[in-house]
Amino acid sequence: MILQGLLEVLQPMTIVLVAIGTAVGIIFGSIPGLTATMAIVMFLPVTYSMTASEGISMLMALYIGGISGGLISAILLNIPGTPSSVATCFDGKPLADKGEAGKALGTGVVFSFVGTIIGIGLLMILAPVLCDFALKFQAYEYCALAVFSLSMVIALTGHDMPKGLISAVLGALLATVGLAPIDSKPRFTFGLYQLNNGFALVVLLIGLFAIAEVMAYAETVRQKQDFTIRSNVKIKGVGFTFKEFVGQLRNAVVSALIGVGIGILPGIGGGVSCMISYTVSKNTSKRRELYGTGIMDGVVASETANNGTIGGAMIPLLSLGIPGDAATAMLLGGLQIHNVAPGPLIYEKNGVVVYAIFFAMVLSAIFMMLFMLLGMRFFVTVLKVPKNYLLPVVVVLCAIGAIGNANMIFDTYCMVGFGLMSYLLIKSKVPTVPMILGFILGPTFEQNLRRVSQLTSSDPFWNHPIFCVLIIATAFVVVFSVRANLKDAQRAQEAERQALKAGGADE
Amino acid sequence: MKRMLSLLTALAMALALAACGGNSGDSSNGGGSSSGGGASGWPEKTINIYVTHAAGGDTDYMARQLGEALQKELGQSVVCTNVTGSNGATCMQQYKDGDTDGYTFIASNTAALNGNEATSMVDFGYDAFEPVAIYGIQSGENIVVPADAPYDDLEGFIEASKANPGQIKYGTSTGGGVYIQTCVLTNLGGAQFNIIDAGDAANRLTALLGGEVDGTSLPYSTAADYIENGQLKSLCTCLSKAPAMMPDQKSASETIPELIVDTEYVLLAPKGTPAELVEAMNAAILKVTGTDEWKTMVNEYCYQDPFVLNVADSTTNLKEQRDLFQSFVPFL
Repeated sequence: MILQGLLEVLQPMTIVLVAIGTAVGIIFGSIPGLTATMAIVMFLPVTYSMTASEGISMLMALYIGGISGGLISAILLNIPGTPSSVATCFDGKPLADKGEAGKALGTGVVFSFVGTIIGIGLLMILAPVLCDFALKFQAYEYCALAVFSLSMVIALTGHDMPKGLISAVLGALLATVGLAPIDSKPRFTFGLYQLNNGFALVVLLIGLFAIAEVMAYAETVRQKQDFTIRSNVKIKGVGFTFKEFVGQLRNAVVSALIGVGIGILPGIGGGVSCMISYTVSKNTSKRRELYGTGIMDGVVASETANNGTIGGAMIPLLSLGIPGDAATAMLLGGLQIHNVAPGPLIYEKNGVVVYAIFFAMVLSAIFMMLFMLLGMRFFVTVLKVPKNYLLPVVVVLCAIGAIGNANMIFDTYCMVGFGLMSYLLIKSKVPTVPMILGFILGPTFEQNLRRVSQLTSSDPFWNHPIFCVLIIATAFVVVFSVRANLKDAQRAQEAERQALKAGGADE
Repeated sequence: MKRMLSLLTALAMALALAACGGNSGDSSNGGGSSSGGGASGWPEKTINIYVTHAAGGDTDYMARQLGEALQKELGQSVVCTNVTGSNGATCMQQYKDGDTDGYTFIASNTAALNGNEATSMVDFGYDAFEPVAIYGIQSGENIVVPADAPYDDLEGFIEASKANPGQIKYGTSTGGGVYIQTCVLTNLGGAQFNIIDAGDAANRLTALLGGEVDGTSLPYSTAADYIENGQLKSLCTCLSKAPAMMPDQKSASETIPELIVDTEYVLLAPKGTPAELVEAMNAAILKVTGTDEWKTMVNEYCYQDPFVLNVADSTTNLKEQRDLFQSFVPFL
């Protein structure tokens, strides 16, 4: 069966489709506003007329390419191409600013590959065991998980915690717009049916990152510009040495495991996994103070984790028929249309297709690395284009993405609105990344809290050990981060005072 | 770089077109025969079908199958676009007052159309559209419990809940057809469940397998594997009669006469679309769904025989379901 699966994928037609899928996925991923999910949505109907292995292989390729492509614009433009690459900006962009765009891209690409392969490996070996784990996560557990993940916001924001919390709460509030979970009561829609579905994550993401970036740049437009942009970006090989690669392995494995773990849990997804993995990597690193200044570690943490999420998300999808995020929900539809019913019998009934999926994923990961390493030399030329030509193009592409989301012009207004909001927030030094976390996790928390309140009469919380552990862990994280933050702040104040003193002495 | 980007977009478009080509390439030289239903000259350009539910689901699949068949029959491109959200309400709202020139249609299902009105999600019903055709019936939602549960039919399930009020947890999804079904179960069937919201079909499946709920309603296709491997069992279908390919199933309406959720696939046109265009489209649909190819597809995908109605019957059918759903309004 395994061999048969391999043979299915090694058909010339399938290989071509995987290659096309990966390339299109990378393009969708790299353009802010077009996401992996959209790529799959667009191509899903196209696969209706293909064979099961062809169609599904292509969809997998789109998925892998789409998640991986996001790093390009994150690193080069500081605009995450997909929600999954938000955390890639943190160190990727500073690294590129240092003139090491090649290293940043190379790191991102290679570790995306590593993450994907670790994810696929766990998917192939451990799927049944991990499924039992996923089934243990119910309303109580999700509720606690959302709280726990939100506590990461504190660690994400650095020393200005109140502003980070403001941002996260704003995100959670924005997510309440639209039909309420469970009872479908419209909230904050002002009678506009366009708001019934709430704001789309991709629209918020474009507004927060792309539009705000353009506006920030527009400030400098009247200043004299040096249009001769450093073109000294040299790329040797993959951009980093073998020694550096080995040095990152521990970080990569931990990040991949975080990615897979979050992928397994339906409903959380790559956007959260990259941020949590980045935070964990930062807080356990010996050189944590260097994170955010442009070091490989940050890029590795984010990119390994978001690609690990792919394998993770496939586990409950294939073995239980439960999609982990929007993209896998589309894949589920794609499988069913080809008469492959994901679930406990998938190995018995459609074993060949399952193995074909595994091999298609590996093949796509290889194509992804190949295309992106080859393309790197072209990607970095983006840095040579004066931004006053480049950014308008980006805005147009973003607007296309926003409209494509639900076929509504209305979403472009939202996009601009979020851009203005983000600009004001940046001006008042409120970080916008926690907002994304609040936006994704707020609804998870609300929905499951409400379910818990329905359950609690016949199923009290002490029956749920995972819930209790997560809540206690959250308490620890909060106490320790607050303490560490206060210490840092004190130290900073002291340093400032001493600097002032020194300054005074000079005069 | 601008060149680079435009190149990339061009490439993406070219690929998309090439890929679509595989799907629609045979349109130009296909059939080409006008159905000649009184609307002379129609269709002269691309027909747009807006699908109310996401790609990958049954509503989308059926709409696209229909679109593809119509494309061959009418000799014009038929493009299906998904506009999703709020159980189809977003799309219906957006296109109910759309162009009435016979090139804009909405593909949905009757449970969403009538259900959204009954639950007050929207303030309009099927009469805000020109119904074109009902063109299929779903494989149905089944009431499913773990295989080791002590009851084998809906009656036993309800009795068990009465014996132990509020202790049997029943997973629902507030707002849609499953919600209506749950309300009927408790208000007309007298079941005394602890009603838990367990989200969409996949989430309800997880909740049932993980033991968070003791019973729920699932589309047959979602539950089929688990029924086969002996983890779950189906107590009944909520269709008025069992699907043609699975005739042994009991119907919920044998126990509770009002518990009928017949989800049918329906094509609508914006209000004011001329009757002759609606009739012409219906004639084309009746023609393309009369083939063996269509029957095989429907048998495999829906476990049903083809079920396609003319305009008048479609309207009557919609009205019947609307009246039934409206009778539930007091307790929804």
